[in-house]
Amino acid sequence: MMQAILVVCVCVCVCVYSVMQSVVWAVLLWPCLVSLGVPLECKDEQGSIILCASISKEKLLDRVIQHAELIYRVSEESCTLFEEMFVPFPMRSQRNQAGYTCATKAFPIPGSKSEIQQISDKWLLHSVLILVQSWIEPLVYLQTTLDRYDDAPDTLLKKTKWVSEKLLSLEQGVVVLIRKMLDDDMLTNSYYEQGVAPYALQPEVLESVLRDYTLLSCFKKDAHKMETFLKLLKCRQTDKYSCFLH
Amino acid sequence: MMWRDVGVTLILSLILPVVAQGARHTPPGKPKLTSCRSPDKETFTCWWEAGSDGGRPTTYSLFYHKENSETVYECPDYHTAGANSCFFNKNETSIWVNYNITVVATNALGNNFSDPVDVDVVYIVQPHTPENVTVGVLEDEDGPFLRVSWEPPRKADTRSGWITLIYELRVKLEEAEEWEEHRAGQQKMFNIFSLHSGGVYMVQVRCKPDHGFWSEWSTASYVKVPDYIPRERSMWILIAVFSAFIFLILTWIITLNRSSVKHCLLPPVPGPKIKGFDQQLLKKGKPEEDLLVEYLEVYVNEKQELMPEGKDLRDVGCLKSKSQSDNDSGRGSCDSHTLLMEKCGGVESKDESSYEEPELLQGQAGSWERLERGDSQVVDTPDSSDARVKTWPLVFSPSIHGSSDNHHYGTLEMPKQHSTSEITYSVPDHLFPTSTSFPHHHHPEYRDSLGEYSEYRHSRSPSTGVLYHWEAQHHPQAHSNFNIRNLERQKEATGLGLPPSRSMEYVEVQKVNQENQLVLKPLSSHGRGPSQVQFGRAVVDYSKVNGVNNDNVLLLQRQREMAEAGQYCDYREKEGAEAERYPTQQQGKTTKDGPVATQLQESTCLTTSGYVDTVPTMPTF
Repeated sequence: MMQAILVVCVCVCVCVYSVMQSVVWAVLLWPCLVSLGVPLECKDEQGSIILCASISKEKLLDRVIQHAELIYRVSEESCTLFEEMFVPFPMRSQRNQAGYTCATKAFPIPGSKSEIQQISDKWLLHSVLILVQSWIEPLVYLQTTLDRYDDAPDTLLKKTKWVSEKLLSLEQGVVVLIRKMLDDDMLTNSYYEQGVAPYALQPEVLESVLRDYTLLSCFKKDAHKMETFLKLLKCRQTDKYSCFLH
Repeated sequence: MMWRDVGVTLILSLILPVVAQGARHTPPGKPKLTSCRSPDKETFTCWWEAGSDGGRPTTYSLFYHKENSETVYECPDYHTAGANSCFFNKNETSIWVNYNITVVATNALGNNFSDPVDVDVVYIVQPHTPENVTVGVLEDEDGPFLRVSWEPPRKADTRSGWITLIYELRVKLEEAEEWEEHRAGQQKMFNIFSLHSGGVYMVQVRCKPDHGFWSEWSTASYVKVPDYIPRERSMWILIAVFSAFIFLILTWIITLNRSSVKHCLLPPVPGPKIKGFDQQLLKKGKPEEDLLVEYLEVYVNEKQELMPEGKDLRDVGCLKSKSQSDNDSGRGSCDSHTLLMEKCGGVESKDESSYEEPELLQGQAGSWERLERGDSQVVDTPDSSDARVKTWPLVFSPSIHGSSDNHHYGTLEMPKQHSTSEITYSVPDHLFPTSTSFPHHHHPEYRDSLGEYSEYRHSRSPSTGVLYHWEAQHHPQAHSNFNIRNLERQKEATGLGLPPSRSMEYVEVQKVNQENQLVLKPLSSHGRGPSQVQFGRAVVDYSKVNGVNNDNVLLLQRQREMAEAGQYCDYREKEGAEAERYPTQQQGKTTKDGPVATQLQESTCLTTSGYVDTVPTMPTF
């Protein structure tokens, strides 16, 4: 009898606690929720009051950076999975130390920190956008090829699918960011058109496995590029001078 | 010539080993690149190990080319990073590009190339250990806790976001063996709770970029936690309290189950048991409530020359009280007409009952007393009412047969038949007022006693089963008619508040034997032939006469056959109407005895055995 009463009390307490917690969270986040979706009055740079229904630049940049970080992590896991499953041992890239040479992009990407630091914000953002847009199609292509594998693990397929979806949202975020930070709407499509060209395969890579493996590793590298660019951009937003001191 | 050939051969044989020794110097062995590491993603260093040097001093050089160009560069710096290393500075480091690096070992005899290695700087980042690891003890309401803080390695540019580091720390007590690891994420501070009071902790921190290798553990930092719990003392206190609690509970349990524990340890010795024997009852004697004193009150007309001696009945007869353990009948030892003989002196009887117990004697005395009381109770009544006296004259007179003695006598209704009675009752002398005059000339009068019985009435009192011996002074051959009038008495008795249950039994007077003993036979004795009295349809019961008390009351014993008595009673009631004819018949029968005015009156038969029949009113002479 006593045990039953105790169990009932515990359940009630847990329920009440969870309800209270959710209520508390709702109360705390209410202003955030309100601010997110509801058109509020905000002041733009000229000081005029316009209706805005969006988040701030900083928050948007944070979100974009989080996206980029996640994409990189998932791509790294996918590459490792693929390598373990399909790539013969002698051809492995020895713990991510190097991948196969990836296709060069349409415009040069800075290769060192010093070079990158010399790039303006605008170029950084655009570089990111180009990178993102250049990988949308190859990832879709990769998904189809992976489906043809007999014993491709489910996790690999899920990850690549997830990555391609996230890439699209990242692209949207970067576009919005460009619009917000640079007030530049006109360049959104131009680079994309250039990136439509199908991914050029390395001539020496004949086997599909190696080709896919190269694809994955190059994408991983580019994801890291995106992440780095965005982080550098963020630093510049907060404290421009300290970012360059190093 | 031959001498020259020999000389050349000798010289050659001498020179050749020397030359051969020189020929053991080989090109160098193959070097091998062991690792390349970048601490900050801006510079990196590669190390190699040398193969065999081939006996000659060898030089190593490192060549590389970047991923999409064929230009081969040589290592710019061989010294900064130590021997067999190559250091790439910032200007030469490009990230996100693969370096194809080869080491070449060269000596005088040749060179040897190592296997090329592809390196991307981004993936070989291994930062230095975190710096400035500080550990402090802070107080909280829950107790002290450790706060560990550190800084990123100096070379890693985390501020600009160039490198994102995640940290990890591990803690253990100084004497412990296993570390406790915690991931700290990107924060540079960490709290550790639940400390051992008074312990010394070691803390180490390391870091890793999101795409590289873990750094080395930082040097251990020691911290001592102050004593905030007097652990040992509190532990002893807790143990003492707990054991005391358990001891109390055990004591309580044992106390509760004391009896069962004792029973378990010291099993009781079983005592002797006799079946059907109630020891308690014997010890106590008869409880007053259970015993039914049924006694017959025999009234002797005071006008007669009754024996004034007032012999104590104790002397005369003995009172036997039946053990009340006879639960079957509930009547008392009515069944043992032999009981009477057995215990009392001077009375012969067949003993068929089992009342040998000495307690009976004891009970006798008690019941005797009770009987006395009861008698006195009953006796008083006649004083109070003359009618009672009148209705209860009982005269045992040998002059039934018409002696000249002017005495009353108790008349008995004689049953026509009688069974061989084996009971002899000794009637005390004083019962018969004309005892002195009894003598022997009454003998013949008592001789023929067929179906003579004595009616008597029982009045119930606590002591039951009182057997009386009464000694008949009659001539054994004489028979006497006893009549006990019961009717009015009964009514009065009930009115007087006597115990309501009355039982009537009949005793058949068989004869008077030579010892002046009135041989009575209980009517309802079982196994003695039909005890039914054939008075027409009347049923008569018999009961034993227990004795006579001081007031000349014949005390009769209740019959043991309660059921029979009950039946008889019932029957009797039915035939009550005819009872009135009874006395006439009786009287008719006892012509020899003289006019016996026996008028059997209606009697309400008691349900219990041992009833006293209605006593016809005695005619007063």
